[in-house]
Amino acid sequence: MRILVVEDEPDLLASLAQALREEGYAVDTAATGDDGLFSAEGTDYDAIVLDVMLPGLDGWEILKRLRKTKKTPVLMLTARDQMRDRVRGLDTGADDYVVKPFDLEELFARLRAIIRRSTNKTTSVIEIGEVKIDTAARHVFLKRKPVELTAREYSLVEFLALHRGEVVTRTQLYEHLFDENECSLSNLLDVHVSNVRKKLGAEFIVTRRGHGYCIE
Amino acid sequence: MKIFKSIKWRLQLWYGLMLIVVLAGFGVTAYQLERNRQFRRIDEELHRRVNVLVNALHRPPPRGQNPNESLSAPPPAKFRLPPETVSWFDAGDPHDFYFIVRTRNGDEIARSANAPSVEFSPDNRALVEGDAARHRRAENFHPPVVNTFGNYREFFQATPGGETVCVGCRVEAEQREFAVTALELAGVGGIILLIGLAGGGWLVARSLRPIQAISAAALKISAGDLSQRINVEETESELGQLAAILNSTFTRLETAFAQQKQFASDAAHELRTPVTVMLTQTQTALNRERTAEDYKQTVAACQRAAQRMRRLIESLLELARFDAGQEVLKRQPFDLSKTVADCAELVQPLAAARGVKIISKIIPVEITGDAERLAQVVTNLLSNAIQFNRPDGEVRVTLDLQNGLVVLTVADTGQGIPPANLPRVFERFYRADPSRTGGGHAGLGLSICQAIVTAQGGMIEVASELGTGTIFTLRLPTN
Repeated sequence: MRILVVEDEPDLLASLAQALREEGYAVDTAATGDDGLFSAEGTDYDAIVLDVMLPGLDGWEILKRLRKTKKTPVLMLTARDQMRDRVRGLDTGADDYVVKPFDLEELFARLRAIIRRSTNKTTSVIEIGEVKIDTAARHVFLKRKPVELTAREYSLVEFLALHRGEVVTRTQLYEHLFDENECSLSNLLDVHVSNVRKKLGAEFIVTRRGHGYCIE
Repeated sequence: MKIFKSIKWRLQLWYGLMLIVVLAGFGVTAYQLERNRQFRRIDEELHRRVNVLVNALHRPPPRGQNPNESLSAPPPAKFRLPPETVSWFDAGDPHDFYFIVRTRNGDEIARSANAPSVEFSPDNRALVEGDAARHRRAENFHPPVVNTFGNYREFFQATPGGETVCVGCRVEAEQREFAVTALELAGVGGIILLIGLAGGGWLVARSLRPIQAISAAALKISAGDLSQRINVEETESELGQLAAILNSTFTRLETAFAQQKQFASDAAHELRTPVTVMLTQTQTALNRERTAEDYKQTVAACQRAAQRMRRLIESLLELARFDAGQEVLKRQPFDLSKTVADCAELVQPLAAARGVKIISKIIPVEITGDAERLAQVVTNLLSNAIQFNRPDGEVRVTLDLQNGLVVLTVADTGQGIPPANLPRVFERFYRADPSRTGGGHAGLGLSICQAIVTAQGGMIEVASELGTGTIFTLRLPTN
């Protein structure tokens, strides 16, 4: 899962990015509205955390312009908690709203929820054959026994599971699992796929040669 | 009882009572006048007849000079009805005059046939003696006694000899007339009373209606709906004026409340960001074991956030003290030009960092006031002029005397403030750039400057031209 955080307060941006990375997300950051819009339009993020008060373009404007081209789920961060602001945010196309100050746990939960909704899943648990994925707790079970996965492996499983039945290209996987600063070696993905197959069964991830990967 | 506490009912009761007293007074007087007028006519008739009858009483002369004889009763008088007056009595007309003549002892000497058998006459002896007593006080005074008994009116006259002559008549018709008059008067009085009460009630209800509107509006306002106003129909009446005054008070109250609410909301909003920083920093740090360097970074970020909150709280408290009039400024003579020069020196590093040149043109000026506070104002204006300047721009500071006022100007060569935003620059929490860039300034600096200058007895103005720059002008009294 790859996320963009647009926030102008440097201390807040740094800690948010760190916390999200530790949650297993690939995180890109932007400190101004213009940078934020540029990144948001150029990459298919799984979600965007967008502050309302920004130098340059503000959060409303970014959202308005972004909605012309993309349906990326957007979680607005704001210090204003008046009802008309919330209504305006949701009407402009925000998927959810978090009022500062917030707890990280709540922010994470809301982020998971908007990502889940964008992939048309209604619960946080995905079951595929004998594999069960709890996206809230970030745990994977095989035949009811917990399976140890690295953060990157988990992200790979989760992304494929959320797009179950679809063929996911390698480019897509690179875009969603690695952030802009990571130098993505071409075989890194193959290593992760092979590790997941070892842990969850060889037929869990199907390779569509020339296209990509798929969970059926 | 609640009903007697209400102004409406107390007023009604009071003028209802007054109306009853006045109407009763008039009614009784009118009744009495009418009655007296009627009876005077009858009394004249009775009087005429009595006089004739008294003269018709014949007393025989005393029989001897025996001194004892005067102690005994005088011989009874003889009475004969004069023939020309026969038609006066028992005539069968509605008045039906009659007469009764009695001796001093009450024995009847004569009576007309139609005289009623019931005796109405006052005790003869008392009548005669009362008469005699009056006689002794004033000679030739023969006041008659007139009385009404039921449907009869009788006229008594005592003779010097002690006999009483009574002439009476029936006054049934008159009595009936009086009863009708009394009823008519009562009826008219009652109608006037009803009209008075109804009119008064209507008037009172009408004049008190604004009070109901006022209390209804006040009730809603006290319940928290400050947008309520009194619906004033009659603006001319005293209550209408009161309502208009209350309405303008409510408007000011609402504005003050809205400002206060906005201020509190802005202050809370300003505190949200540093609190968020501290929360996310600490929650992230505590999620797992960190290196000492990571912890140090977290603590440093928290410290920055806390410093920002401290600055904000100090500014808020400062403004609150000015608002409450608790901030007491010193009044000491000092050299303002030196203060300005010191401030310019203080911000010099900041200016150098941004490549901004500070050009001063100041004359020595001594004023009375708070040197420290004015230095705060000048520093703030200079910092703003540097911060919102273009790189390699200029800040011009002038200090001059004009019309007995000290005039200090700070001009920058920044991008200027749009005319629409110009009136708002002294507003609390107003920032030209709504984002947080600007070193955590909450937009209170100019508000505080204005508060200080105003408390100092001076004024601060701003003028700006887009693309050219902004100029702040301070005018201060010299002492």
